[in-house]
Order: sequence, then structure tokens, then C-alpha cells
Amino acid sequence: MSARLLLLAVSLGIPLGVGSAQQKRDPMSGMDHMPGMKHDSAGMPIPMPKGMPMIPGLVGLVPPGGTFLPAAGVDLDKLPAAKPTQVVHVKDGDTLDLTAMLVRRTIRGLDFAMYGFNGEVPGPLIRVPQNATIIVRFHNRIDLPSAVHWHGVRLDNRSDGAVGVTQEAVAPGGSFVYRVHFPDAGVYWYHPHEREDVEQAMGLFGNVIVDSPIADYYGAANSEHALMLDDLLINGDTLVPFGREGPDFALMGRVGNVLLVNGEPNYTLRVRKGEVARLYLTNAASSRTYNLSFGGAAMKVVAGDQSRFEREELVPSVVLAPAERYVVDVRFARPGRYAIVNAVQAINHYKGEFEAEVDTLGHVIVDATPVKIDYGRAFSTMRANGAVTSEIDRYRKYFDKAPDKQLTLTLQTTGLPLATVQFMTIDTAYYAPVEWIDGMPDMNWLSTNKQVRWILRDDATGKENMNIDWHVARGSVVKLRIFNDPKSFHPMQHPIHLHGQRMLVIARDGVPTGNQVWKDTALIPVGSTVDLLIDASNPGDWMLHCHVAEHLGAGMMAVMHVDR
Amino acid sequence: MHVRHLSMALAVPLLLAAGPYDIPLFATPKVPAASGSARLVFAQSPFGIAVTADGHAQYDVKITAAGLPAPSSLGAYKAYVAWATTPDLQRWDRLGSISNGTTTVGHVALNKFLLVITAESDSAAKAHVGPTVLHGTSPSGWLQSFLNHPMFRGITG
Repeated sequence: MSARLLLLAVSLGIPLGVGSAQQKRDPMSGMDHMPGMKHDSAGMPIPMPKGMPMIPGLVGLVPPGGTFLPAAGVDLDKLPAAKPTQVVHVKDGDTLDLTAMLVRRTIRGLDFAMYGFNGEVPGPLIRVPQNATIIVRFHNRIDLPSAVHWHGVRLDNRSDGAVGVTQEAVAPGGSFVYRVHFPDAGVYWYHPHEREDVEQAMGLFGNVIVDSPIADYYGAANSEHALMLDDLLINGDTLVPFGREGPDFALMGRVGNVLLVNGEPNYTLRVRKGEVARLYLTNAASSRTYNLSFGGAAMKVVAGDQSRFEREELVPSVVLAPAERYVVDVRFARPGRYAIVNAVQAINHYKGEFEAEVDTLGHVIVDATPVKIDYGRAFSTMRANGAVTSEIDRYRKYFDKAPDKQLTLTLQTTGLPLATVQFMTIDTAYYAPVEWIDGMPDMNWLSTNKQVRWILRDDATGKENMNIDWHVARGSVVKLRIFNDPKSFHPMQHPIHLHGQRMLVIARDGVPTGNQVWKDTALIPVGSTVDLLIDASNPGDWMLHCHVAEHLGAGMMAVMHVDR
Repeated sequence: MHVRHLSMALAVPLLLAAGPYDIPLFATPKVPAASGSARLVFAQSPFGIAVTADGHAQYDVKITAAGLPAPSSLGAYKAYVAWATTPDLQRWDRLGSISNGTTTVGHVALNKFLLVITAESDSAAKAHVGPTVLHGTSPSGWLQSFLNHPMFRGITG
């Protein structure tokens, strides 16, 4: 039955049938590998937003293919407790061992068997000088195949960690050696590139800060802190299990209900009155886009994924899509307690209304003792980074050229529960540019990569995803236009990540962007057209994909070959 | 016959044809020959989307109008002014003056709003006083309540 006919049937109040043939009805049939799993007090297999019932037509269904929890059956008492992140300073030529392993994490008083690099969550903060090359010996000691991707780093292709493109997955018990070169100063991160929906969500991620040799590369600050944002989906006393054969939550990705900073649900940072704190922010969540602020403290953004901005800017908040990084300086002028909040305008799909949603991620405690050196004047000066502008000037002649490549972002579905199809068909009368929360976790949970195929479609050839197979010459400057189709079954924003290169976001919906920064991940809101200018300087086979982990797992990826 | 549902079924394809950032403007009887549309364009931001600290999307409003007569033909008016107002009409934000052709005014940072063009005695008018000539609804105004829909009462599915 077509969507239009379904819509008409619903409109006329015609009763329609139950779920699709592919959907199992037994509420426990897919959960046989979750010893001790309990439902929440409402008996729901997943947590629903307050006051919202599951759609009757979805009650009792489970994702096809079954579910599982990693490390199920492991004796929690025998696992090492997760440690806080340690800073590891390395220099050119050093070797670092990085081990993915099981850890015991305690979150809100509940113990969970999860993952960590070297027993830490987030993993070790690697601090390395610009232009250094280090050897990383990766050891896989978890119960799933894995690999390490060095996100945003323009490194040798063989060490990119892209499973299926640059290497095979490292089996449990196996090892792999990465040779990682860091040509650009900035904040980067590392994470698995195999079942990210599971392994990243379970704690496998860490930061790399690449330090410039230029002493005043950034402005003056009193302290520096790396904050990795993440969320975790917990139901009652149990993690919500993952799709066994592939990602569930395939429609909009897994959106957690416990928001974490550096693995903690109530992160605390202590500073002094007048302190300028430099914060290296990374969004390591599977799907959530953040709108982050610090209790009204003055904040300026100084750098993005791979470089400084042309100009520093005061900002009221920081928007981070999955995998994006920003460097912000925040000045805490007065003593007190500043809430770290994620504040969004969420849509209540049942009521058809927007609702303000504010999550407190932690606090900054500002001591009344003044900071020893007051950088207030430097903070209030918005620096212009002439070196960044000069370098980008070499690319401005390409800004107005016709696109070399064009992609449309869309999806195909098959076999979704009928109630989901009915609801989605009429609910997409309006589609927000960004879905900040999961307002429909029941429908989302029941969608898997067997039913949902997210698509990158090459407008010129009609080829999709891994069939796209683009070749560009090394040294070429490629203008890529991406359109996020708002008329698809489930329009949603996509953070598009290109491995191993750098790019500029030069226009949004035909309007030139005004303050450039080198990026490796760009947010494409629903219905928007975004122009990217890619500096294709690094030879090899590089993935281009959506960084919503479940969208990647549902096919939304391609490869761009930069030929030597 | 569920008239409300049927009207929604007919309306949805029309809206989809308009796009997520487009606002059709409707003329009032004061200016029967006028027509217009508006497009919401994200305000400049260093980030992937422009939002306020509390999460409201921030747009500039690009208004295209045609067939508007001279304001003075409607009375003691000298200019047309665009406003964004909440659906309950309690809050009115001045966006700027417009004329026939395309004018970008802004910002608007409201979840749901009405776009209203009025004739005013002063192009710098701070409050709307004159007659409405064009009006439209933000795309977010199409959000529907499904609380009483058959799906949630267990009739289907």
C-alpha cells in the first residue's frame, strides 16, 4: 500500500492491520541474551518520554534480528573499575599501546560491564606536538571485532582504521599497528570504525590534542580541559541492548537518556573567579546534537575541527553535531555555581508542540579566590587569525565554481511496523531542521538496518552509497554540494564526515558562510543544501559517511579515492 | 466522514511541495491583487545551525512580494512592515520594512509564528497599528496533535 493510500485510510479512520510480517510479537523473543534485564516501572522495553505511551500497534514488538548486550554474563566484580582519563604526552617517534578492554562503570549508582581504552573512559588523552608521527599498537581485548579510526587526522591511508576499506577488523585477541602522523594542530578523537553503534556507545573513544609550535596559537587562558560529550540509554537498571545483526534505532540513531561529560553524569569543573578556561569539546554521542552553554558565562569560539576560525566570535552556546569538535574559551567572571546545560526546543510529536528541554550535564564551581593572572582583557579581544585567512584565500577562487559532485541524502524503508508507517507518513507534515531529542523512541527502537537503508545518492549517476566510487586527483579542490531531502519518509539531519582530508563549509542554502574554519564533519540540516570545498591533498581510499552511528550501520557511506 | 482528517490529507501534499523553510503568504481583501512568499534562511553562525542559547532556531526572513499598492492608497500609510507574532498574538517582533520585490529582514527566533505584513504610517514603526495586507504561517505551524488520533486509541495497529 502506498504512503498516500495509507494516509487516506488513516484520515478516514479506517482500521488497518497489525505489524509487518517481519516483526516479532513475542516481547522477550529477542532478549534471550540479556540475563538480569529488567523493564522500567512502566513495563516498557525502552524508556518512553514522560507521559507518552507506546503506540498501541507497537506494544509487544521487538526489533527483528534479536538484541544483545556485550559482555553479558561476565562477573562484574572481576572487571576492573573504569579509571578517569590520563593525559599521555608523546613526542615524535614514540610508541603507545592502546588496548580496548572490558571495564566496570558505575553510573548513578548502577554497575555496568562496558568498554574502555586502557581501562579509561574516555580513553587516554593523547597530547602530541604538531607534525609528530607516533606508533600506536592497538590490542583488541573486547568480545567484538574492532579497529581504531583517527578522526579528522590527515594521516597515511593505511592507518585510517576504516574497516572494510583500509583494513580488516581486528578480531578479539588480535592486534594492529597504526602509524599516525599529525599534520594539523587542533583537537581530534579516536574511536572504533566497526559497530560504532555498540563499541563507541559502550565507551571506546578518546581525544587527541595536537599542539602547535606557535606559542600564542590560541589566546591566553588560565587552564585547559577536554570535555567529551556522550549519552547512554538506560532502562531501569539495565543498558538498552543493541541489535544483534546490525544497528537498531536505525531511523534516528540511539539517543541516550543519561547525558555524560567525560563518562560522568554530573561532571564538575573547579576554577577561580575571573578564570579563562579553554574547553576542547568533542561530541562522541551516536546521534545527539548538543546546544551547550555554561550558565551564561561569556564564551567565545576560537577553533573548530581542524583549525582555528578566521576570527574569534562571542557565542551564546555551542552547537555540536556528532563527531564535531570546537575549542571555546569561557570566562567565569563571578564566583558561584554555573550549570553546564544542553538546552533545546524539542518537539512533542503527540501534542504537536515544541517543548523546551534543558538537561544539566554538570557544574562549574567558581571559587571566590581571584585567578592569579587575569586574562579578561585578552578574552574580550576577538583575535583575527591572519594565517588562517591567508591560507584559505588560496581557495576562495573555487568558492563560486559549479559543484563537481552532488549528493542527495535520503532513505528507503521496507517491512517497518504498520503503525510506524502510518504515524510517520502524517507526522512529516513538518520536519524540524534538527531533531534534538528522540521523541518517538518506540518507533525508532523497532527500526533496524534490515528495514532502513540510509542513502547517499550521487545526483549525476544515480549510484548510491558504496557503489558511488568517486575518483579525484590528488591536489584537486572538489566542490561537493549536499542536499538533505526533506520529502523522504524520515527527514533528519546528518553530520557528514570525510576521512583523511579537510574541507570548508562555504555556503548554506546559497548563502556564503562568513567565518571559515577547516572541518572534517559538517552538519546538514533537513531541507538544507550545503556546499563543501574539499582540499583533496591526501592520497588513498577515504570514507565519506554520516556520523550518526546507526545511519552508518544502515548503509550511509561511500568512498572517495584520492588518486596519487 | 472525518472532515478534519480529510482536510489534513489534502493539505499535507501541498505543504510538502512548499518546502520546510517556505511560507506562502496570503493577501487580505485590502489588497486583492497582492501576492507573496517568504523563505526562512538560517542566520549566520560559526556552527552548523544558528540557534539561541535556549535552542530556538534563528532565521533571517526573505520576503518576496508583488502587487502591493502604494501604502497611501490604503489610508494614511507610508510603508509596509513585516512582523513575526506568536500564534496567540501576544508577542510581536518587528522584522523590518518591505516593498514589492525581495527583501531580507530578520531575525526571528520563535518556534511557531505567524508572518504578518501591515501598512504603517512610518517605516520605523515599533508597533503594528495599520491593516494587515499579507500573512502566513511558519512551517512549524503544521505540527499536528495526534493525541486523539485512532492510532493512539488503539483502533488501528
